[in-house]
Amino acid sequence: MALNKVLTELQKAKKRKKKYTKNQFCDYSLEEAKLGARRLARCLQKLGFKVRFSAFRVVNVLAVCSMPFAVHLVDFTKNNRPIASYEPELHPAATYRIKNLKATVQVFSTGSLTVTGPNVQSVASAVEHIYPLLYECQKPRCK
Amino acid sequence: MFAAGLKCPGCGSSNIVDDDLYCQAQLVCVDCGSVVSEGTLADDPVGGTDVSYSRTTAVTKKPCLNLIKGLERVKEMCRILRLNSEIEDLALTYFRQAYQQESFINVTLQRKEVLAGCCVYVSCRQRDWPITLGTISSLLDADPTLVGGVYQEMIKILNIQAPFVSITDVIEAHVQEYKISAQHVTKELAEDSKVLTKRAVALVELAGDSWIVTGRRPLPIMMAATYLAWQSLNPNRHRLKLSLDKFCHLANVQKRKPAVMRITELKEVLCKLGRELPWVRETVTQDNVVRLVGDILDHRHTLLTRALRTHETAMQADCPQASALNSPTEEVTPSQRSESRDQTADASSALQLCPTDRTENQEGDDSHQTEDPEPNWGVRVLFAPPCVVHAKRRRVEPPHVQNITGDEEISDSEIDSYIRTPQEARAFALMQKAVSSSGSGNS
Repeated sequence: MALNKVLTELQKAKKRKKKYTKNQFCDYSLEEAKLGARRLARCLQKLGFKVRFSAFRVVNVLAVCSMPFAVHLVDFTKNNRPIASYEPELHPAATYRIKNLKATVQVFSTGSLTVTGPNVQSVASAVEHIYPLLYECQKPRCK
Repeated sequence: MFAAGLKCPGCGSSNIVDDDLYCQAQLVCVDCGSVVSEGTLADDPVGGTDVSYSRTTAVTKKPCLNLIKGLERVKEMCRILRLNSEIEDLALTYFRQAYQQESFINVTLQRKEVLAGCCVYVSCRQRDWPITLGTISSLLDADPTLVGGVYQEMIKILNIQAPFVSITDVIEAHVQEYKISAQHVTKELAEDSKVLTKRAVALVELAGDSWIVTGRRPLPIMMAATYLAWQSLNPNRHRLKLSLDKFCHLANVQKRKPAVMRITELKEVLCKLGRELPWVRETVTQDNVVRLVGDILDHRHTLLTRALRTHETAMQADCPQASALNSPTEEVTPSQRSESRDQTADASSALQLCPTDRTENQEGDDSHQTEDPEPNWGVRVLFAPPCVVHAKRRRVEPPHVQNITGDEEISDSEIDSYIRTPQEARAFALMQKAVSSSGSGNS
């Protein structure tokens, strides 16, 4: 729960000027995220904390999408080294970091993608960038 | 560890090592075995010096003891794993480079030891020596998560890449761990390591072709392949009755829980192929498929093609519209791969076409949609990652309330629901006291 996280942070740092709220809502747009943050600030005000809502800034955007095909991760990593890395013993997904967009895509063998980036545009561009690379590797031994 | 600058009074050699006896420090000559000195000097401070090595001028005069210990540990691990000198030298180079970096210089000794293991691991991978991170973790007796974290950090800092280790390369070393040769167990349960490896490799390749390997940890798959290979090489009553638990106990290896699921998945794939065997009259189920594993593996490429073709025929019977689209696919010129793979590729692409037609048809009748809004593509293809075939049903969120401004009145009962645990209530009370006291202090 986002509220619990904020309370815990307040306990640790008594005179905290900035408050970071992590809105963990599903299927939210940017406007809804801002409304949710305002609602949270209102809750804190009612609870008695001296809270002011200002300078709302989106720091990170997490998006999930899935391909209608499975991806062979070994081939994908071999074709896209060194940008892609895959360690099956550590994590089931291959990580693809796009430097110019500052976005990270995690590709799972089921075709699901988890994209993180600084804004919605970079996340969308990352998906567009990676789609042709995934399409090549949808069958086993596609080299 | 060598103690520099000392000479043995017995033979005069300078080959003196620190050979501690329990908690007593001793310096012993390697050549003649005489004890040069023992016990700590009375002037030495108890528990080491107050000023750490990195803050003294000793940094320029003598090498860091932990660096030397780390290099010795690297050599020791290479000797245990019986690696060649090229890999050992590479590992030592990496350790020296990584040790100087900020992330590894002022860290715990355990982390430095794990770094040594990671250097060995990376060197093995770069020189195509099959090894898993699990082996290194068990060698270091460290948590695999910690080893993984140090490994990722190390390759990032040193800016090196490690080629992928194929599971088929590692399985030979894995199978040799199993103590089920004739000298360890009874004749009806014993199996030769080479034969077992060959069968296990074939099973792992089949698993790779049918989406069982991708995205999964290699060790449970290797265990499942070894178990099924052992059962199928001599499918007598004793072997078939033995569960994975008892098999691991017999072979003196530690059982991995996911291996049970991998066995089920492998058996499902084997059943799908076993049904295509023309000389099998009875229904192929998970119970009787083990006896057919030998035949299935010998003819697996042909059986794969036949299974895909049978599936495609069944799908065409379900969606007749796709048949018009399928004919241009078959006219596509095949690539330079083997004939069976071309047919597999064509059949798979035909299968991919059919689901898209299905979704187009279903978009037309939205009003008849059930709780599952999107049909699962994995159910329609013959081979798909098991997570897709048995997909979790997503919870459909209720439609959001419109026109939220964020300034609505919040009822007291709603506020009460946010403060749930007694600990939080106590912490909140303390916090309020602190805030009010700091507020009164400021004003």
